[in-house]
Amino acid sequence: MKKHSSWISALMAAVMTLVLAVSWSQPAQASGTLKIGMEANYAPYNWTQTTSANGAVKIDGTSSYANGYDVKIAKIIAKKLGKKVIVEKTQWDGLLPALTSGKIDLIIAGMSPTAERRKAINFTSPYRTTNFVVIVNKQSKYAKAKYLTNFKGAKLTAQQGTLHYDLIKQLPGAKREPASKDFAAMRESLEAGTIDGYVAEDTELTSFQMMDSNITGVNLSKMKGFKVSSSDAEVSIGVKKGNDQLLSQVNKVLAGISTSERNKLMKEAVQQQPQTSTKKENWLVSMLKNYGQMILEGIGMTLLISLVGTIAGFFIGLLVGIVRTIPEPKNKFKKGLLAFCKWLLSVYVEIFRGTPMMVQAAVIYYGIAQFWHINLNRTVAALIIVSINTGAYLAEVIRGGIISTPKGQFEAASALGMTHNQRMWSIILPQAIRNCLPSITNEFIVNIKDTSVLSIISVSELFFVGSTIASQSFQFFQTYLVISVIYLFLTFTITRIFNLIEKHIEGPENYNMMVNQVQVGKQEGDK
Amino acid sequence: MADYKDNEIILNVQHLQKAYGKHQVLKDISFEVHKGKVMTVIGPSGGGKSTMLRCINLLEDPTGGEILFHDQNILDENYNIPRYRSKVGMVFQQFELFENKNVLQNCMIGQELVLKRSKEEAKKIALENLKTVGMDPYIDAKPRQLSGGQKQRVAIARAISMNPEILLFDEPTSALDPEMVGEVLETMKKLAKTGLTMIVVTHEMAFAKEVSDQVLFMSDGYVAEHGSPDEIFNHPQSEKTQKFLANFRGPQI
Ligand SMILES: Nc1ncnc2c1ncn2[C@@H]1O[C@H](COP(=O)(O)OP(=O)(O)O)[C@@H](O)[C@H]1O
Ligand SMILES: [Mg+2]
Repeated sequence: MKKHSSWISALMAAVMTLVLAVSWSQPAQASGTLKIGMEANYAPYNWTQTTSANGAVKIDGTSSYANGYDVKIAKIIAKKLGKKVIVEKTQWDGLLPALTSGKIDLIIAGMSPTAERRKAINFTSPYRTTNFVVIVNKQSKYAKAKYLTNFKGAKLTAQQGTLHYDLIKQLPGAKREPASKDFAAMRESLEAGTIDGYVAEDTELTSFQMMDSNITGVNLSKMKGFKVSSSDAEVSIGVKKGNDQLLSQVNKVLAGISTSERNKLMKEAVQQQPQTSTKKENWLVSMLKNYGQMILEGIGMTLLISLVGTIAGFFIGLLVGIVRTIPEPKNKFKKGLLAFCKWLLSVYVEIFRGTPMMVQAAVIYYGIAQFWHINLNRTVAALIIVSINTGAYLAEVIRGGIISTPKGQFEAASALGMTHNQRMWSIILPQAIRNCLPSITNEFIVNIKDTSVLSIISVSELFFVGSTIASQSFQFFQTYLVISVIYLFLTFTITRIFNLIEKHIEGPENYNMMVNQVQVGKQEGDK
Repeated sequence: MADYKDNEIILNVQHLQKAYGKHQVLKDISFEVHKGKVMTVIGPSGGGKSTMLRCINLLEDPTGGEILFHDQNILDENYNIPRYRSKVGMVFQQFELFENKNVLQNCMIGQELVLKRSKEEAKKIALENLKTVGMDPYIDAKPRQLSGGQKQRVAIARAISMNPEILLFDEPTSALDPEMVGEVLETMKKLAKTGLTMIVVTHEMAFAKEVSDQVLFMSDGYVAEHGSPDEIFNHPQSEKTQKFLANFRGPQI
């Protein structure tokens, strides 16, 4: 049957995608490369730039480059090991899972070797030792603090999941505000006055001061009673447990980098880190000039994932919807088999509708790598996740469409002698799908917006690009305004396009009388 | 005068029963349908007329009795039901045209999928039949663009395009505005004259009287009376039939 074979080919395509995804992916320890995980958003340790200036390294899967103290160190290590550096831009919270699941070889991300982290991964000897500071405005009363107790009443924060945030507890009477996602957000809050200061390292102070001369830092490390374990004041390189060979190799290389060379590299990094544009230039012009390419790529990625995800999800949903509406066969065995299939499918629908896509993304992306040692390309992972998720939603939509097609349509088709398959394919499904089109459009729109949660697995879609730009340009409002206008433009255009498709399927409003075939009017009681 | 019973029996229904759970809708229905003849079925609403028709083409599973089509029991496990249905057409009270197809496609789809006719052949036959029902000017129209009477005529064309051996009608004019009843009844009369075997459930007594070879009066799941139009309409024996016809005539005239 013709229609059936087109089904099979759709299924084949899905299987092929999976096979391809698996074959594209390579184990992280592939001989010639050294995969480094970093946020590329934590200057001067690491940041994202659009050119390869100052020896920046291409970020895997994008056309942007990473640079910074970490990149400089990574290049030295890679050179000594005879390998090529590959930067995997990864969100802070995703760094440990990426390492333990084997997606990266090393974390070089300005990370301190805390006892807690040591439970999960190993650390090398430090590649930098830092002072801790509270960053405040110059005219703030806390700017003159001499003792830890001077911070009484200060509203302080620090980056989420870092040692810095715990350090606030050592300042008696300081108000610990909710932890912040990244430094850019804290700088913004400090300038806006919603916090009095934030705890960070001296490098953050240096780089912030280059941009805002009204900023100063209070050095905590020199204050009486301030306790930081030596390991906490240090930043080290994370290595997966058990990978002792790499650990000792890296340690050997680090031992060869002197303190003065380290200071030199850090100074370079602070000087090279991206600066906010000179105030004269129009912010929109400068944003488009500096980040236009990144934004376009973000749009492309968002469209790719949501379009492919919606189409693949539609076919999954169609398949599930069809199977779930097969009438009960008389044969006992077939009946049992069908019941089992239907049960499996309802479990699938329940699970994927009942959990957030962000969680699914993390579980699938990191879980598959950790337990099956399959290193999925993150774009492919994103496509699979969005497809499966959309499939679960559309399965219900399509089932509803099938069920709500009037019973008379089934019966009229049966009365002509059509089999169940013939009825479905030529009568019921075309009507059901037609009736589901608004919901499918809606799902597409939702997907365009919801791909933003894929930032958890560091897919560089529009929102991810937006937060990178915001963090680097410190133009939060402007950046997110531009990003939301783009989202609005995308969803608006797509809605229009789908409306046109619906109209097209509906057919013309009027029909043509075939007047030449017979004279009309003989039986025309009605107009 | 040759008796209609001289013709071969196509459909033989014996002691047909149908129950929905405990609700026994058809209790004991028996009749024979002869080739080329028209049987009308009349009776009060809720008497089981639709259920009986739906049992004949197996839209409902009978719970008892036998239905023989050319002496073969269609309720046998191995009986080819889609093939049987393609030989037994049905015209519904609510037309049930395929909403996603235009008039011509409505009349072609069954021929192509079920009878495996070529597109050209199916189109030719569909056009002929649409011409018979006077709907050939509307081949491009979608069902929602047609009036009730027009829809029902297309539904008839769709059914006869399958060249059925029997055509079942379930109150084909009951959902129509009064001024459209005539056009559909005319079409059906025309079909009857071509020698098509028909079972017609109807409340159009004049039509029943004029067209049928035998009339079945159904009430409460039984065949209350069965005979020629003259016997049923002019000399009804059963009290139920008399009452029904009396009630019927009252408001009509
Ligand atoms: N699917 C069903 N489930 C339960 N009862 C039904 C169903 N279909 C019909 N009936 C009942 O069967 C009886 C006969 O209905 P029907 O055959 O439609 O009568 P008629 O066509 O003569 O008016 C009615 O009492 C009706 O309520
Ligand atoms: Mg009825």
